Amino acid sequence: MQKTTGLIAVSLLALTASAPASFAQDVKEISFINCGDELTAGYADYFKEWEAENPGFKVMPEVVGWGQCQDKVTTLAAAGTPVALAYVGSRTLKQFALNDLIVPVPMTDEEKAGYYNYVPDTVTFDGTQWGVPVAFSTKALYWNKDVFEAAGLDPETPPKTWEEEIAFAKQIEDNTDFDGFGVVAKTFDNTMHQFLHWVYTNDGLVIDADGNIVLDSPQNLEALTALKDISAYSEEGPTAYEQNEVRAIWLDGTLGMIHASPNAGNLATEAGMNWGVAPLPLGPSAKGPGTLLITDSLAVFKGSGVEEQATSLAKYLTSGERQWAAEMAQGLTPLRPLEPQTAELLAEKPYWAPFLDGIEFGGPEPLLTDYVGLQNVMIEMVQSVVTGAAEPAAALTTAAGELEQYK
Amino acid sequence: MTGTRSASLFALALLAPALIYILIIVAYPLFDTVVLSFTNAALRPTYDFVGWANYQRIFGAGNFTEVILRTFIWTFFSVATKMLIGTLGATLLNAAIPGQTLFRILTMPPWIVPMAIGIFMWGWMYNGQFGMISGLLQNFGIISKPWPILAQGSSAFWATIVTDVWIGVPMVTIYLLAAMQSIPKDLYEAAWTDGAGRFYRFRRITLPLMMPAMLTMSLLSLIATFNSFDIIWILTQGGPSGSTTTMIIDTYKTAMGSRKYGEGAARAVVICIFVSIFCIVYFRAVRKLSQGEAK
Repeated sequence: MQKTTGLIAVSLLALTASAPASFAQDVKEISFINCGDELTAGYADYFKEWEAENPGFKVMPEVVGWGQCQDKVTTLAAAGTPVALAYVGSRTLKQFALNDLIVPVPMTDEEKAGYYNYVPDTVTFDGTQWGVPVAFSTKALYWNKDVFEAAGLDPETPPKTWEEEIAFAKQIEDNTDFDGFGVVAKTFDNTMHQFLHWVYTNDGLVIDADGNIVLDSPQNLEALTALKDISAYSEEGPTAYEQNEVRAIWLDGTLGMIHASPNAGNLATEAGMNWGVAPLPLGPSAKGPGTLLITDSLAVFKGSGVEEQATSLAKYLTSGERQWAAEMAQGLTPLRPLEPQTAELLAEKPYWAPFLDGIEFGGPEPLLTDYVGLQNVMIEMVQSVVTGAAEPAAALTTAAGELEQYK
Repeated sequence: MTGTRSASLFALALLAPALIYILIIVAYPLFDTVVLSFTNAALRPTYDFVGWANYQRIFGAGNFTEVILRTFIWTFFSVATKMLIGTLGATLLNAAIPGQTLFRILTMPPWIVPMAIGIFMWGWMYNGQFGMISGLLQNFGIISKPWPILAQGSSAFWATIVTDVWIGVPMVTIYLLAAMQSIPKDLYEAAWTDGAGRFYRFRRITLPLMMPAMLTMSLLSLIATFNSFDIIWILTQGGPSGSTTTMIIDTYKTAMGSRKYGEGAARAVVICIFVSIFCIVYFRAVRKLSQGEAK
């Protein structure tokens, strides 16, 4: 009897233990890498909602710090054990696509029309879309009104053109102990980003729609020359500083102007600065306000077995109001001109206007087959000009030649 | 005969775990890297063999030769400075001076502090706007404007060496101190009785008897410095304008940045060849030294 009871107990225990295994076999997991320090605001709830609408699938999120995120996603894909859905810089999509690691995520015309113009372009290659935009960044000009006043400039009037921007920077340098403008030129990715702001405020391009490298265009020569000219009035040794380090100098009150994202305004307010924000000044060839349009995307990786569901999840997470809520929680530029949200945002926080105005003539990060190769060439080009090692025209010609191998 | 065979089998059995471990952890990855260096492996899961193309590319175009030369200069100055300061430090710590224990403890912080934190600390010290070095130089009127040390190629190059020396000196010092303390005291007493001065004793007793330890330390330091990645990557990422790009940084950028695994592997193989040459030179030097001692 005791033996029988014991056997029943063991059988029951075995059944109990095997239940989760059976459950696991029925439920398919969708692995998801979310870059950052924590899961994007609202995602935990959205996962539950999506799972309720898609029985049999469970989202398995993993939060990976920014520093390692891109490397982890890429290494997993290259090793043949891809994550189903991952947060990636849109600039890497072409490289992933050409290596057959991700699946296309085509947008309908209606979906495309929902975004600000050019946003779909940041994920488009070979006529189709390869990711779902999930984060958006634009830049504007910040100026320190106290520094302007000390330099004898009108603190309420920011520069509107490059010519004014350079002249204002010179006046600050000449009349005060401060530096005029924050130049970013460290061996770091945002050195290229900062240069592209000059490119896109002068109707420039790096690669055209036909895939030709057009870096050495007259517009870009004007842009690189302007960057060289304003470097004379920048902080000492710009090749030592990346974007956030230049922002720190500006927040310290010793710099007149910088190009930065919306968050700089919050930090400036916290620091008690007297600041203003305006659209990026325009170059002589500009057609209208511009800025570099950087997006991150959710990419669906090939070989996970749940590509269809991962695509569905990506579109669910980034749809209209969910996306808007995540953007506002993170202080990101909205991907879509939703109404009435956009009008309310501008009414409540008017400083957002320059970040949205620049989208009209902005441009995407160039999509090339080797993004890091592109980045290295552009950084080398900027550094050579800023340090006086090369003239803008020669630097552009060299860089354009080197980019041919990466297009 | 049976006894000898049994002893050999026993020795093999004892060595087997270590051999298997080395085969899996060292030999296989090394072999795989060499194989990979003859392929066009990239992000795509499949790849083709391309013969010597990767080697032709890295030596034929670009600036790899310049990178190799820079790596040697960087390594030479870093190792030489570490050995010099380490030897002087060990000699001082070995001397019968008051507070000897305290000084020995004070030698350790650069080694105890997690490397990344130490490097970030140096990064801040080198900062032109907020850094201590630039601030002090301005306060003393030596410079009139902020000096961002990592902004110029030459100063960035030397700054990375200084940081590497700061991190590496404690290990050299402690190792050489241990070697110094193992020298029999009676040799010094005999030399002192014969009227030998301090410098003479150091030159004729300490230095020759420490030579094997110094050789070993030099080799270990040479390999570690040649492959030093963290310091340069955190401080400059190889910039500005490639002025601090050493072979290991170049290899990482190629393999993990541009995802050209085949070409990156070829660069790694070149590093491996250089390190192997260092080891051969070292073992020959040790053999020569021990033959000299035997005579």
